[in-house]
Amino acid sequence: MTKKTRTIKVDYLARVEGEGALYIKIKDDVVQDVKLKIFEPPRFFEAFLQGRDFREAPDITARICGICPVAYQMSAIHAMENALGIQLEGPLREIRRLMYCGEWIESHVLHIYMLHAPDFLGYEDAVRMAKDHKEIVERGLQLKKIGNEIVSLVGGREIHPINARVGGFYKVFAKTEFDGLKERLKWARDAALETVRWTAQLPFPEFEQDYEFVALRHPEEYPFNEGRLVSNRGLDIAVADYENHFVEEHVEHSNALHSVLKERDSYFVGPMARYNLNFERLSPLAQEAALESGLGRECNNPFKSIVVRSVEVLYACDEALRILESYEKPDRPHIDLEPRESVGYSCTEAPRGILYHRYSIDAQGRILNARIVPPTSQNQKTIENDLWKFVPKFLDLPEEKLTWQCEQAIRNYDPCISCATHFLKLDLERV
Amino acid sequence: MHEHSLMKDLMSKIFAVAHEQGGTTVSGVKVRLGALAHISAEHFKGHFVEAARGTSAEGARLDVELMDDTNDPLAQEIVLDSVEIEE
Repeated sequence: MTKKTRTIKVDYLARVEGEGALYIKIKDDVVQDVKLKIFEPPRFFEAFLQGRDFREAPDITARICGICPVAYQMSAIHAMENALGIQLEGPLREIRRLMYCGEWIESHVLHIYMLHAPDFLGYEDAVRMAKDHKEIVERGLQLKKIGNEIVSLVGGREIHPINARVGGFYKVFAKTEFDGLKERLKWARDAALETVRWTAQLPFPEFEQDYEFVALRHPEEYPFNEGRLVSNRGLDIAVADYENHFVEEHVEHSNALHSVLKERDSYFVGPMARYNLNFERLSPLAQEAALESGLGRECNNPFKSIVVRSVEVLYACDEALRILESYEKPDRPHIDLEPRESVGYSCTEAPRGILYHRYSIDAQGRILNARIVPPTSQNQKTIENDLWKFVPKFLDLPEEKLTWQCEQAIRNYDPCISCATHFLKLDLERV
Repeated sequence: MHEHSLMKDLMSKIFAVAHEQGGTTVSGVKVRLGALAHISAEHFKGHFVEAARGTSAEGARLDVELMDDTNDPLAQEIVLDSVEIEE
């Protein structure tokens, strides 16, 4: 018998249905299981770096993220320089810090104003928030623009900049080229101070937790590109020891790996970790603003990460101005490097937390293997742990509201999946 | 980076249509790719074959129509045009 076929006209628009799903199992009003599923498929960057020249790693890995390409460039560059045994000093090192300031400003401000604040003020998104809070949203957009401007000026373009390279930069600038930026940064510093005051008075749920925070710590500076890896529970290691202490586990329900501390378990990276472990390295202005806002020297409530991000934006503006005040054009844009058979390690502080790179290269400078551990996979287990504790408070809510509460709890971490307004598909099973 | 999620949405629509219409197998799928859609026909086919594997749409004929009008309101979209089912 021949099968009958029929064609059905549909005309349906395909939609991104969400980058993540949350499965919650509840029995007798007790949470039995929580699984945060990330759909984003593996992208195999580590594999296709193999065989490429060591100088290509910064530009290839920058493509991993459109929000934090500078972080990928900085981790790749510092890992390669570590492999070749050099460490940049003076103005070239300062320009790198300046570039990172730009990325923190643009990334943090996007999250504070466009994604996180609407959660606290009860708006679905920043566009709806702008109807009632036009000036605030405009301040956010203007502030973000200064971050973009720094990256654009120093990096050659706003997204996936092209000027940074192993050994330095392709092009460096005369001091006068920064004059206009300096003026705008002074405005940005004031706007960042206002942002700290504004975010500090948002209504926060009580949710103090006991976390292990992990961040870089430099002897004098608030960390961007250098330092030892430390935690509030005694971890204090060189970056090269990272893989002896941290391990990535594949869990069946997620395409993103879960990273854990071998000795203990989940840990927390990002602005709150940096702040708690490096408070005294913030500029005096940032410290003062944080204390005045009532944040305290330590913060254990992830919902308050919006205030911590604001303090870091203030620091980044202040630090960028400090760099520009004392800047002198370097004698040469970069130093030339000869490859040798070696292994290099680096961790830098991406806006969302530590970003680890390790490369082995051969005598010709070809990459033999690469390892990259991004911040979101390091926080993923901590996010799940938060949800275990957070969800029971809201079990009586209708599903739509519960989904929104869970989105907020996840958004505290600014994970790479949260850009979408409705990024989460909730799968609630009551047994 | 959203291909996987888009394809998931598209496949669930295809299965829903097939189910509603009493189809046992999906034998063909036609999509229209807008002139500004961020995915090429080849790329789309790769994702479709992967998503259909092990389902009632495995082996289904895929017909991709490439649109060329950049001013079309749907120029950035991927549109599921029709689904062919076996009863």
